Amino acid sequence: MNQEIYLIGLNHKIAGVDIRERYALTSCDPQAINEVVRLDGVNEAMVLSTCNRVEFLVVANRQPDIPQQIRKFWAKLCNQPQKDLLDHTYSHENSQAVTHLFTVASSLDSMIVGEPQILGQLKTAYRQSLESGTAKVIINRMLHKAFSVAKRIRTETAIASSAVSISYAAVELARKIFTDLSNHRALLVGAGEMAELAATHLLTSGVRDLTVVNRTLTRANELAKQFGGRALPFEDLHQALLETDIVITSTGSPTAIITAKSMKEVLRKRRNKPIFFIDIAVPRDIDPDVNSLDNIYLYDIDDLKDVVEENLAGRQQEALKAKAIVDEEVTTFMRWRESLALQPTIVDLLGQGESIARRELRRSIRQLGPDPDPQMVAVLERLARSLSHKIYHEPINYLKRRAQEEGAAQHCIHTTRRIFNLDSDHIPVDAHWNRKK
Amino acid sequence: MTASRLFELLIALLYLAGSITYPLGLLLRQSILKRLAIGMSVAAFALHSADLVLRFIELGTANLYHGQFYLNFLAWIFVLIFFVLWWRLKHDFLSMISAPLALILFSSSLAIRTQVLAVPKYFSALWFSLHVGAIFVSLALLAMAFGAGLAYLYFERKIKTKAKLPGFSQDLPSLETFDRANDWATRIGFPLYTISLLAGFLWASFTWKQAISWDPKELISIVIWFIFALLFHQRLALGWRGRKPAKTAIVLFVLSLISLVGVNFLLPTHHSFR
Repeated sequence: MNQEIYLIGLNHKIAGVDIRERYALTSCDPQAINEVVRLDGVNEAMVLSTCNRVEFLVVANRQPDIPQQIRKFWAKLCNQPQKDLLDHTYSHENSQAVTHLFTVASSLDSMIVGEPQILGQLKTAYRQSLESGTAKVIINRMLHKAFSVAKRIRTETAIASSAVSISYAAVELARKIFTDLSNHRALLVGAGEMAELAATHLLTSGVRDLTVVNRTLTRANELAKQFGGRALPFEDLHQALLETDIVITSTGSPTAIITAKSMKEVLRKRRNKPIFFIDIAVPRDIDPDVNSLDNIYLYDIDDLKDVVEENLAGRQQEALKAKAIVDEEVTTFMRWRESLALQPTIVDLLGQGESIARRELRRSIRQLGPDPDPQMVAVLERLARSLSHKIYHEPINYLKRRAQEEGAAQHCIHTTRRIFNLDSDHIPVDAHWNRKK
Repeated sequence: MTASRLFELLIALLYLAGSITYPLGLLLRQSILKRLAIGMSVAAFALHSADLVLRFIELGTANLYHGQFYLNFLAWIFVLIFFVLWWRLKHDFLSMISAPLALILFSSSLAIRTQVLAVPKYFSALWFSLHVGAIFVSLALLAMAFGAGLAYLYFERKIKTKAKLPGFSQDLPSLETFDRANDWATRIGFPLYTISLLAGFLWASFTWKQAISWDPKELISIVIWFIFALLFHQRLALGWRGRKPAKTAIVLFVLSLISLVGVNFLLPTHHSFR
């Protein structure tokens, strides 16, 4: 009746996109996916499916063909041959499976290390398995632990603290120049996908408003409407530069449209209010000399790429620290796993009883005064010890009886450990607020 | 006497601890250390205020004849101005500069406690307190602009040259905030500096029947005033921002320090604290 943890899955590292799309489960009914729990020997299951990965996490009786059974089930679910899964999936057991899950949860296994979406996706997957009743004692504990590990890594390492996309890098730089983005206006010169993305990020980061300047006014109007801003004809560029502080340029112009000479004039009229230029056009729209003027900051696409690459390198560094945290937490989890057997639980129960008895005994002896009668002390000792044994006698008998039954043991042991708080867990006051009846 | 000595030692120790803990918290990126440092500054300031009150109860206006009192008071003003800017700029980074300066001034006030100052006999409380009070607030503002100016120049260079920003820069404010500290020092500091100089000259003309006695302190103060006036004019009329005002504020504060340390302690004039 030994239960093992299995994890079978594929990710962007082991399987190309052609494999990933064929074996993706995103369009499948979650109910159908959780049918995996009906497989022979499987007790608990949770399935995670995103565009970069599919993971089957199951808790099953010890039998060697579990990974094979899962692959078969998975291939059938996708109406695909089983043989591709053999080459493009990994299969982990017990502590390795737990390590993998914690690594995924803390976004160390993501395509962009540190990106936050995966945690949300994992939470959704867990909720689905809770709803279909396939997550029980072990998966519950494992997932709660995974979420707390992810949180710990996020706060203790700088893994997600720097921007790793061009447009986020631009927003972050803007924050280094300006205190409160809501006091500053943005200007979009020309239209392009990347420029629109950067504008979106600026707006969601709280920039006051957006002005669009474009050669064709109709396109400018369209964009302005989309972002809730205003549109100006190209001739008004100079005027727009007086009123805005963050400027994104991406026109198709073969020569620079903003020169150092024209900016000197603009700066004077602006009374040196700082401007941040983000030039994503190739060839560049802004003369690089503009950067040499005081109170003007010019970043072109390559500068931003450099920032992003440096940040990514920094994340790899932080990932090493994060892996150490994962290892530490896996050890704690596996210790809990081992305690989830009959014998350790009985030992823990009796140990707890004895320690309470000893503590209370000491307290009572102290109340007898400085020189207690040895006979009295002996009687008290016997009373305390036998009380603690007798009180734990019936729960232990009950546990032993239930341990004979298939499937019930785990649950009973877990409940007992919770009732007596044998793992000395810290239990927050709102621990069960979202529990279902 | 020993009890008040211990009390003063405690204040100095708190300033010292605050001066070390804040930069440490910044470098290690532990906000708890920074909060601790600010807490120590607040505690030191409270004790320091009590110390000043006790000093006045004990000695009254006799304080004004002790050079150490002025340093003690200046240290207190520095921390007070830091609190004002902390509230206005919504950031406590100026603790980097206020705590060490308060520490230096306060401990030097302890070191020179025996010397007695020759304050002119005919002294007029109004002009004198205006002279000293205004110059001290102005100095404190300059000190803050000095700290903010150094930070501005450092980060501005990094952003301009597209260099990688150090990790702790995430916990520091933007260039705009550093520049605002300079704006404060200019807008409020310069008028106060002017008032102080005028009060000084007026007072001198009452006391000695001559407005200016050409001692080194007066000369250097006039030089500072001209540079300060330039900064004030350029900033308000021409809209100077960023590097130039930052550099000017740094020069101004260094000159003021030279004037404070060099003239008040090393040269024998009527501004001397000896």
